Order: sequence, then C-alpha cells, then structure tokens
Amino acid sequence: MKLLIVEDNTELSSDLVNFFTGNGFLVEVAYNLKTAQQKIFDYSYDLVILDLGLPDGSGLELLREAKASKLEMGFLIVTARNAIEDKVTGLELGADDYITKPFHKAELNARVRSILRRKNGDGNNLLEFSNIAINLMSFEVLVNAEAIELTRKEFDLLVYFMYNKNRVLTKESIVEHLWGDHADQSDSFDFIYNHIKNLRKKLQRAGSQGQISSVYGMGYKFTEKK
Amino acid sequence: MNLKSIRLLTKTTFVYLIFILIAFFATSIFIIRSTNSFFNEDSEVYFKRRERRLVKYIEEDPKDLEKVHDLVRVDGNTNIVATQYPQFKDTTMVASQMDDPMLFRSKTILVETSKGRFVYTMYKNINDFDKFRHGIVRTIINTFFVLALMLTLFSLFLSGFLFRPFHQLLALMSRYKIGDNLNLPSVKTSTSEFIKMQQLVQNMISRIEDDYKKLKEYTENMAHEMQTPLAIIRSKTEVFISDEELMSRYASTVKVIYDEATHLSNLGSTLNLLTKIENGEYNRVEVLKTYSIIQKHIETVREMFDLKKLQLEIDLDKNHTLSLDPLLFDVMFKNLLKNALRYTPANQSVRIITSNGTLTISNYGEPLSFNSSKIFNRFIRCQDEKTSLGLGLALVKQICDLNHLKISYVFANHQHSFTITHNAG
Repeated sequence: MKLLIVEDNTELSSDLVNFFTGNGFLVEVAYNLKTAQQKIFDYSYDLVILDLGLPDGSGLELLREAKASKLEMGFLIVTARNAIEDKVTGLELGADDYITKPFHKAELNARVRSILRRKNGDGNNLLEFSNIAINLMSFEVLVNAEAIELTRKEFDLLVYFMYNKNRVLTKESIVEHLWGDHADQSDSFDFIYNHIKNLRKKLQRAGSQGQISSVYGMGYKFTEKK
Repeated sequence: MNLKSIRLLTKTTFVYLIFILIAFFATSIFIIRSTNSFFNEDSEVYFKRRERRLVKYIEEDPKDLEKVHDLVRVDGNTNIVATQYPQFKDTTMVASQMDDPMLFRSKTILVETSKGRFVYTMYKNINDFDKFRHGIVRTIINTFFVLALMLTLFSLFLSGFLFRPFHQLLALMSRYKIGDNLNLPSVKTSTSEFIKMQQLVQNMISRIEDDYKKLKEYTENMAHEMQTPLAIIRSKTEVFISDEELMSRYASTVKVIYDEATHLSNLGSTLNLLTKIENGEYNRVEVLKTYSIIQKHIETVREMFDLKKLQLEIDLDKNHTLSLDPLLFDVMFKNLLKNALRYTPANQSVRIITSNGTLTISNYGEPLSFNSSKIFNRFIRCQDEKTSLGLGLALVKQICDLNHLKISYVFANHQHSFTITHNAG
C-alpha cells in the first residue's frame, strides 16, 4: 500500500512517515501544495493524507484537481479542529474522511485502513489477528471459527484494537474513537474500562489468543498470547 | 440610591420655569406694594384735605352741624380716646347713584376743636383702584403662563431641532455592539460641540474595534497555531508510550506530558470555537425542530448514562423549536449533556424536557461550591474537578446570547436546572 502524506510540518510528517512505514506502508511526503500536485499526477497512491493548511495554498485545491482528473486514490483530509466549513467542503469535494488536528495516530491508522478497505472492495472486509476474525460487513466476530456476541461498542473497540494491534492505545484515543466529542475525560475512562472488562471476558471465554493488557495506567494494548 | 433620570432639556426648562415663577412672584409683590403705597398716599392727601375743610367749617361756628353726614359730637363721652384714631377700613357699599356695590375706604377721625369734640367718618371710592390692582395681578399671572408656554414650546423646538443630531448620535451609539466594526453614519449638524462629540465617538469606536480585533486575532492565532506543536508533542509522546523499556522507568512523567498536552489542545480548540462563535461565523440560522436532534444525541450518550447508572427521564415536545445554526445547537446540547453526565452522582436521574418554547435539562447533584451567578463564567468549575476545561457552560451562554436565547440556572430541591427560552422581544 502506498501513501502520500501532504504536511508542511517536518516533525509531524516524519513522525507519520515512521509510523506508517512501521505498519508496512510505502510512504512519501510532500511539504507543500506544488510538490503534492506533481506527485499525485506523476505517481499512483492508494491514499493521500492531506493537511488543508499548506504554506502555498489550501489542500482543498489538490483535492479538487485530483477529483477533476478522476484520480483513483483515496483522500483523508486533516483539518484544524472546528474548521467545520473545511470538513464540509472537503467531503463535498469527494474526500473519503476527515480527521482533526491534533489527532491520535491510532485513530488516523484506523481511518486510513478503513478507507483502504472500502476502496479495495469485497475481499478486504475480513480483519484477522491470531485466532480472531472479524467480518466488517456482517459485523460477525469469530474466535476459533466460533461466533461470539458483542455489543456495538465492544465490536468497535475490538476493530480499533485489531487495526492497532501490538500498539498502546491511550485511553483518550479510545474515548474519542468510541464517543467522539460527546464524552469528556472524567467519567469516560471508567466507561471504557467497563467495555474492556466485558470484551476481555468474552474473548477469554471463547479461547481467544488475542489479549488486551493494561499499560502503565495510560492505555491498553492488544497482543497475541505468548 | 437611584435617581430618576430626566432629559437635560426638560430639566433646564423646569429650572427656568421655577426661576420665572419666583421672579414673577417677587415682581408681583413689589408692584402690588408700590401700587398700595401710591394709593395710600393718594387717599391720605384726600382725607387730609377733607379734614382741614371740616375743622375750618366747625371753627367758623356754623348753625347746622347736625346736618353734616357722619359727624357725631362726642363732648361728654369719656370712652372716646384720642389714641384709637384715626381708624381705616375698606368696605363694600352701595352708592346712592349706583346699583352695584362698590368698594370704599373709610377714615374715622377724632376732631378736637374749640367748639367741641367730634368723630367724623370720611369715605373714598377705591373701586377703580381695586380693579386696577386686580388687573395688575391678572396680567402678571397671564404673562407668566404665556411665558411658561412659550418656554415649553421653545424647549420642544430645541429638543426636536437643535438637539436632533445629539439624539441621533445617542441612538447610533446605543445600537453599537462591539465587533460590529461600525463606521458611524455621519450625523448632519453645524453645532461644533456635536461635531466634536461625533468625532470623539468615532475615534473611540475605532480604537475599541482595533483593540478588539487584535485581541480576537491573538486568541484565534494562539488557539490555532498551538495545535500543530501540540500535535507534535502528543505524537512524540505516543512514540515514548510505545517504548516499553522507557515506559517502565518514566511512565508517570510521560503520562503528565501527554495529559497536559491533551488538556492544552482541548483548551485551544474550545477557545478557538468560542472566538469563531463570537465572530458570528456560525450564522446559518434555521428554525430547528429539536425533537429528532435531541433524540439522536440521547442515543449517542445513553450508553454512558447507563454505565454511570443514571436514569434519563425524557419528555420531549415534537413541536418544540429553537432558531439557531444547527452546528451551534449541537455544540450547546452536547455541552449541557456532558455537564449533566459529569456532575450527576451515580444512581440519580437527569431530566430533559422540551415544552412551550422551553428546553430544560436538570440533574440531581451537590450544591455549587461557588456563587451561582458565576456559573457561566469561563474557567469556573467545581474545586475537586481537575479534568474539566471550565469552558462548556461559557460556550453554551455565548451561543444563547448571540442567538437571542435566554438561559437561566436554578438550584432547587437538590436539582441543578438549565432552562433555555427564546428571548421575549
């Protein structure tokens, strides 16, 4: 999978490059609109992570040109928080999704994978890790080929863990993923604890090799049992 | 003490009227006294002449003194004492030639002559004088009323014509709201004080607008520009979090950096939102039927309420509407829900009611640890509440204020209630 990251901040873009390279992607960077324009017409990418606030123009311009030229690549736009107009315009122009700055990398990863899965058709609706398999279309979860019953939030949580396996997911990132900005921090950590407790029980009961462990009170990690 | 306010011109006119009243009163007294004094002297001259003629008449030894009217001999009467005379009296009498009663002044004197002692009463018709005196008083009163009327009319004319630019300027100033970036329409006037005042007001507004713009830009830039460095801090911290060896030693430090960066980031974005709302960037005002929107929000949060074991009591009116930008309604309602979720103790209830143009969210809870008048202030939160930004209710209030909605807060029967209604008028 090939990604183009269009982000003018070198620190942030290098972090993203390391992150996605570590996740098995081929990653390229463009630090401004002009370079990004050259790249999308010269090469082919599966997805462009596009920051809208670029030094030489708005990322929306790139999106407009790509859509006008019927380029096949997916677009995930990155906006400053509360720039609601940008989100709306971006989605109207054909962006596949948006994420607001500052974002959690785990959330970005989940969104990227979700877009790529949708773009690449039927075969990719299956998410597998160890002896767990999730069908994202039918919301079916199989452990050792046996179906288990999960609530909607437990399902979302498991998918989020599967997309970000072997990586620490902070509590904040999980809260934001599950409830967006409806939740604030004080009580929501207890809420996710409840969900994680139930999800653990269900996975253990079904004999899952995947396990959720707590990490230094900061978050949780989904790994395969050794 | 609150003094009742009166328009300057009304006040000036009133003071003028009182002054004129006093001046007229003093003048009247002076004129009437002068008139009286003039008449008294005139009467006295008349009576003296009569008295001299009478004495002369008596001394010349006339035969028929008894025929003289109003002359009484009092030779032997010891009750008559000289000090009692002369006696003056104003009296109404009917004169022989006239039908109407007329006013006379009488002077009774004691005449002591070589021919004996007499008491004699003389009369002088003062009817014309009295009429003249009344005429003067009437003229003064009439003049006062005419002058008062003219003064009032003149003050109305002043207020309507000369003071018109002043009132126009006042009206413009009263309509001015900070952030309007108002260029005061020029008020036509040739009065130099008003021209100066207009210039001063315009300069003042320009300065206020300039300061306000700078402050807004500063807030906006700060809130916006700090997001990228914060994103980097958070991203780098996430790298630390993934490093188990590092975390085994520095978990608590990394957690503090991560939490504070998140807090600062939330603060920045909420302040940014507040500024954008203040700037009127969310102005797609619609008449929102709140029923389905509230239902949607409740569905999203119901699970969290269940997890905290809070009962949600909902009574929604399908016809309830509010006029504002849908995005702002979302922000407002989300914050009220978050507030209820955060501060309601477990096993208690939260009530959401819409009816008759009001939206009420109430929840059970402890009384506030601060004065309730500060509840909508920025950065006000309960003492033991560390994670709250303290901006949620300020955001709600800002949205209400800018959309002519009234939000009220009461704490009664252990319940905190927020009620939103359309502002009357």
